[in-house]
Amino acid sequence: MQKIRLLLLLALVQVCIVPPAFAHHVLGRPSYSLSEDSNTPPSMQVETQIGKFFVTYMVFPAFPRANEPGRVNLYATRIDSGEPYAGQVTFSVKDDSWFSSDEEILGTQPIDAGVFRQGFQFNKDGDYIITARFEADGEPYVIDFPLTIGDTASATPITVSVIVIVLFLAGINVIKRKQLLRAKIRADRTDKHA
Amino acid sequence: MTMTHPGLPITWALGIVITMLLTGLGVMLIHRETPHNRVIRLAHLPLIGIPLQRLLQRPWLQLGLKIFLVAVFLLIIAAGLYGTPMAERNFATVMTWNIWWAALIISIFFLGTTWCGVCPWDTLASWLVRHRLWGRSTSGLSLNLKTPKVLRNLWPALLLLIILTWLELGVGITTNPKATASLALLIVVLAVISAALYEDKAFCRFFCPVGRTVGAYSQLSLIELRPIEPDICARCNTLECYRGNKKIAPCPMHLVMGRLTQNTYCTACGNCLQSCPEQNIHWQIRSPSREVIRDARPRWDEAWFMLGLLALTSFHGITMLPAWESLMTGLAQQIGDSGNRLISFSLGLGLNLAVLAALFALAVKLTQWLSGNRQDFRQIFSAFSFVALPLAFAYHLAHNLNHLVRESSGLTTLMINPLGNDTQPLSMMEKHMGHLQMLISQDSLIFLQALLMVFGFWIAMRIIRHRRNGVLPGATWSLLPMVFFAVLINLFHVWILMQPMVMRL
Repeated sequence: MQKIRLLLLLALVQVCIVPPAFAHHVLGRPSYSLSEDSNTPPSMQVETQIGKFFVTYMVFPAFPRANEPGRVNLYATRIDSGEPYAGQVTFSVKDDSWFSSDEEILGTQPIDAGVFRQGFQFNKDGDYIITARFEADGEPYVIDFPLTIGDTASATPITVSVIVIVLFLAGINVIKRKQLLRAKIRADRTDKHA
Repeated sequence: MTMTHPGLPITWALGIVITMLLTGLGVMLIHRETPHNRVIRLAHLPLIGIPLQRLLQRPWLQLGLKIFLVAVFLLIIAAGLYGTPMAERNFATVMTWNIWWAALIISIFFLGTTWCGVCPWDTLASWLVRHRLWGRSTSGLSLNLKTPKVLRNLWPALLLLIILTWLELGVGITTNPKATASLALLIVVLAVISAALYEDKAFCRFFCPVGRTVGAYSQLSLIELRPIEPDICARCNTLECYRGNKKIAPCPMHLVMGRLTQNTYCTACGNCLQSCPEQNIHWQIRSPSREVIRDARPRWDEAWFMLGLLALTSFHGITMLPAWESLMTGLAQQIGDSGNRLISFSLGLGLNLAVLAALFALAVKLTQWLSGNRQDFRQIFSAFSFVALPLAFAYHLAHNLNHLVRESSGLTTLMINPLGNDTQPLSMMEKHMGHLQMLISQDSLIFLQALLMVFGFWIAMRIIRHRRNGVLPGATWSLLPMVFFAVLINLFHVWILMQPMVMRL
């Protein structure tokens, strides 16, 4: 009995000394932060996992504007060993609007102190896709991430919602009117027969 | 640097476990009759009873709250779509996920389904479709079709609740103001479509994941809307509460107040309060455990919804584990999942739901086998599924209390600039200050969390003890698998509460 008690106590202690864990941590979400270094502007950061690598990309400034210079920092480390990828990364950009497929190469960057740095400057506000490409162990890696230049406000969800609601209610209105008309015709016929 | 909330200290956790086990033993070994029926009728309270009753029998208070909440809702939409993408500086994300979602669960204990009575989704849908701010609508745009039989259950709501959790933890909608606003709009669209197609409040009853969560948890609420004098209802032939009258709409949930025994489907719309010619309907304070232990009737779809709630609340905790992170990384590598690892996350979520359901089914099957009873498995499963409810509710309350108490500071600043225009990301100093400015002291928070965990377990034990009478009469030691299930889940929840938790925003 004492052994059982001891085992139970040990199990409880084991449960209680598991290393700290962190909630709500899912990769791929953009987060915004002020750097501890006050000379650095606020940045937007996203972490992602692809194949054998964890990739973190940071955009400086957090909210880039047209005709202002900005920078992407990309970190790629191996999941198993934590070693940084040491090859080259090619950055390209394309417009994320409909009917646009033109892609422009921004540059190919070697690693510099564990970071791949790519500068950019856009002359027009809008939504863009930055693509980072590299090759490791004979396998190609392609990472797309969105970049918004300028004002981020969007009326699309509210416009779509209003259109859907209006169209749906208009459709229901037509059906109801038809139902009422049919009921009236039926009532008239019944009156005539009577 | 990531800011984390400290978890429960080990001494408190040990205290909870010991109290929990002693409570469990006490409930299982000491014979006690069914829960008492004592209630405190708010209408009979000295001084405030009659004014309160009169206030609630008029539509103005509810209408005022609805207008206020619709205004807040529209502000959330505006802030989400036109405000800063920084979640911690945007009214949409902070109000929705840090304040409302956390406070809603806590409010259920004290106010039952009151939220549903003023919910802006239903309010907007009703205004758009029924063309009335309040009262009975004779015109309107609804086809008033009967909800198809295949949808007349809680499966659609359970599916939407799983999708909501997937969006919250998998996609990370909680840190995306635009996505938060878009989701809020999508629910308005669904509510309008449902109101335009189907009679009454089909959306609230069958589809709304928030409403059904509120409904399920409200079985553990301190209050209920019930007849003041049951005899008056017994003599009533006109059933205005059910049919309504010239001015007041009928009960949108088809409930007859004289026969009402559970809060689940009451949306606190107040129609019965206003239409009863005898003014016999009112709010009353009751034992929070009575309904779930005795009064609520088991149903197969509700049973699965309650298990789903338990699985999903536990899942919040599971995603905190270091093992979860390794599992996701490994799985993503194995199946070639990249980016947000959504496929891996979805598999993990599905696995969690399946494992919890399998554990519960195994506990039920073992209980049935040990008792030698040949009753239908579904009946026993449904009857004991109420065990899931207090375990889920207690952990959900304890978890949300943490968020609410620690992350509600800075609301005034947010109200002054709800769109977060020209703001910077939170500095470490602000995060640190926010961390220190708690609504209540750390000790009080820990005490409340401990109390909740013991309370949830105590009710779960009483449910096992009482519900056996209906399905496994005379069972004693054969109930051990069910007891073990409750102990296992609650221990897991206590352990999760001991872990440091990252600030939501």
